[in-house]
Amino acid sequence: MTPKVMKQSKWVPWLYLSAALVIMALFIVYPTINTIVLSFRDKTGANPASADCLPGQPCWGLFENYRYALTDPEMLQALRNNALWILLTVPGTVAAGLLFAVLTDRVRYERFAKTIVFLPMAISFVGASVIWKFVYHLESGGGPQIGVLNAVLVSLGASPVAWLTNKSWIVNNISLWVVWIWLWAGFCMTILSAALKAVPGEIIEAGRVDGATEWQVFWRIMFPVILPTITVVATTMTINVLKVFDIVFVMTNGLNGTEVIANRMFKFIVTNQGRSTAIAVLLIALTIPIMIINVRRFREQEKMR
Amino acid sequence: MRRRIFAFVALTLVVSMALAGCGAKPAPTAPPPYQAKPTPTPAPTTPPEPTAPPAPAIDCMGAKAGDTLTLLYQWSGAEEEKLNAVLKPFVDACGVKIVAQSTRDAAVLDTKVKSTPPDVVFWPTTAPLTLYTDKLVDLSTLGANPANYADFWKTMGTANGKWLAVPVKADIKTIIWYSPANFKLFGYEVPKTWADLEALVEKMVADGNVPWSMGMESGPATGWTGSDFIQDILLVQQGPQYVMDIIAGKVPYNDPGVKKAYETYGKWAKDPKYTVGGATGTVSTSFLDAIYKVFSDPPQAMMVKQSGFAGGEIAKQYPNLKYGTDYDFFAVPGAKGMQGGADFMMAFGSSPATKALVAYLTGKEGAAQWAKVGFDLSPNKLALGNYSDPALIKKAEALAAAAGFTPDIGDTIPAPFGEAEWKAIVDYVNGADLDTALAAAAKAQADALKK
Repeated sequence: MTPKVMKQSKWVPWLYLSAALVIMALFIVYPTINTIVLSFRDKTGANPASADCLPGQPCWGLFENYRYALTDPEMLQALRNNALWILLTVPGTVAAGLLFAVLTDRVRYERFAKTIVFLPMAISFVGASVIWKFVYHLESGGGPQIGVLNAVLVSLGASPVAWLTNKSWIVNNISLWVVWIWLWAGFCMTILSAALKAVPGEIIEAGRVDGATEWQVFWRIMFPVILPTITVVATTMTINVLKVFDIVFVMTNGLNGTEVIANRMFKFIVTNQGRSTAIAVLLIALTIPIMIINVRRFREQEKMR
Repeated sequence: MRRRIFAFVALTLVVSMALAGCGAKPAPTAPPPYQAKPTPTPAPTTPPEPTAPPAPAIDCMGAKAGDTLTLLYQWSGAEEEKLNAVLKPFVDACGVKIVAQSTRDAAVLDTKVKSTPPDVVFWPTTAPLTLYTDKLVDLSTLGANPANYADFWKTMGTANGKWLAVPVKADIKTIIWYSPANFKLFGYEVPKTWADLEALVEKMVADGNVPWSMGMESGPATGWTGSDFIQDILLVQQGPQYVMDIIAGKVPYNDPGVKKAYETYGKWAKDPKYTVGGATGTVSTSFLDAIYKVFSDPPQAMMVKQSGFAGGEIAKQYPNLKYGTDYDFFAVPGAKGMQGGADFMMAFGSSPATKALVAYLTGKEGAAQWAKVGFDLSPNKLALGNYSDPALIKKAEALAAAAGFTPDIGDTIPAPFGEAEWKAIVDYVNGADLDTALAAAAKAQADALKK
């Protein structure tokens, strides 16, 4: 009735925003700042980080915790492993998800097949790790192999393999990557499947009319159309995999060459705040570029609409 | 339609989970490493109420009926009941009212000490000794009898020249479990010296038997079985003072003595001739399975080095086996000291009731009662001869014969050293360079001990 009702003073939007801002400040901004501050303190948080330097050992002064995070052999192993996790599991999960999405798109029992692939997502990571620990179990001595994988190997006449405690660190890591792909493939499939369904039927039809093979239809038509979605899924998976912890902690605890960054951080949470927070900051720093890519991609998509 | 899909998903979930549940071998419920402590139960049992006839032998040191005595300890559940059984004659005799608090949290102890200190604290380490040196009361002024304790106990409980902590309960780890039946079958004798043990091991190998079962998988604590074994080897090769020096940081963890102990251990732990499954078996077999393998039929190994709790695990897994004939233990031969856990009594108060309790537990009656109740071992010399459980009798003799006592290295040096120690062991057994592995652990030792 009166136009006055429509007029809002300048602070009204802030009022609406305040709840979210307070929560953000309390649970995200403050902890992040405090984490960065603590990463320059010693193990108790009471003194500057240089207090933790040992006589006769290299020391980076205020950056002592970062010296640990960037040069300690255990951290170098963790950084190497995290890089490998990204290089191998991100394409692994996306490819598996895409494969399932394309295949299930063509069968009558699509929902059933998708449910099966998606099911692992419903299991907690710790639970899944325990299940897979049994799958990989190695019985030493004379007893029968109770782990599925080794039981199969033995029944085929091969000798059992130490899947998680192998002398070759790459075997132990591959065993962990398989679990990760098993867990996340369903998630990728669901999103990619939705993208596939959104590919306009007309252009596919047009392609087919022009004599394209199914292979060409997929690579020349469907793939380019869903590429933005694939990028989003891949960046999301990259962020997830940078933070990988549960599987490693439960299955190997970082032993036998399987250490990862988050597990190192966890080891020091109570005993050495400085190191723990420095590792956390490193992890944030590694995640930020990927998040920027994600946000940019999102903005581009928004523009197109 | 949508609802049907959800129902379907839910059903599949339930079925698959049920299937997963069926297929899995019952996960070994791992007792916390070191001492098999029951999980903490919040509800404390009621302290014993003063009842009838006063036992004349207990000196109440002037405490009057109705005096309150405040205690703080970590025991709960079955352990707390045992403590109450130990204290019952004292409570009956003196009529003291006990107000107890059970907590495992060092922060709670700290708050209490700084506000309203309990009269008496029982704690599984001597850490309060260094933290509250000035607040603790000298036990010799409270009527404690030093003659009843071995010298090494008094050394452990002394700070600033004052005797502030006395052990009331101990459990030993420096023991090896075996099957007397199998030993008899093959004509093996329990070794008396370390050289005997090494000869016995070689004899077993020559007979085609596997001497050891050394599995040390234990989830995030994987490696602790190995660290116990290595500490026992250190006690044989170097003695208790050396171990205490490692704990104090005077000896770095990559000292040649430590390296030698690792090599002695590795000779057995890495070779399938000496241990079930060789190196892979050692790192991948769970410590509980490792115990079972010695007593299975047919046995997969002859011996397993494991703490006192192994006896209970054997009895649970093989209810038909009898202690003494089917399973038994002997102290690690040649060890110049025992490794184990001990709970210490410390006093913040000096009331008559406090004195009466200290005098009771460090004297004859308390020691005898402790042994009768069978709350592990009492380090009090006068407890000997009062145990009724055959396993405890034997452990008590081993403890009484010990020339020293050392707590677990990995538990005593502040975390995360323990994990670094375990990692060094796992890496070494699985083929890593020993010097590199020990150097990493020594670095963690220096980091952890840095004030």
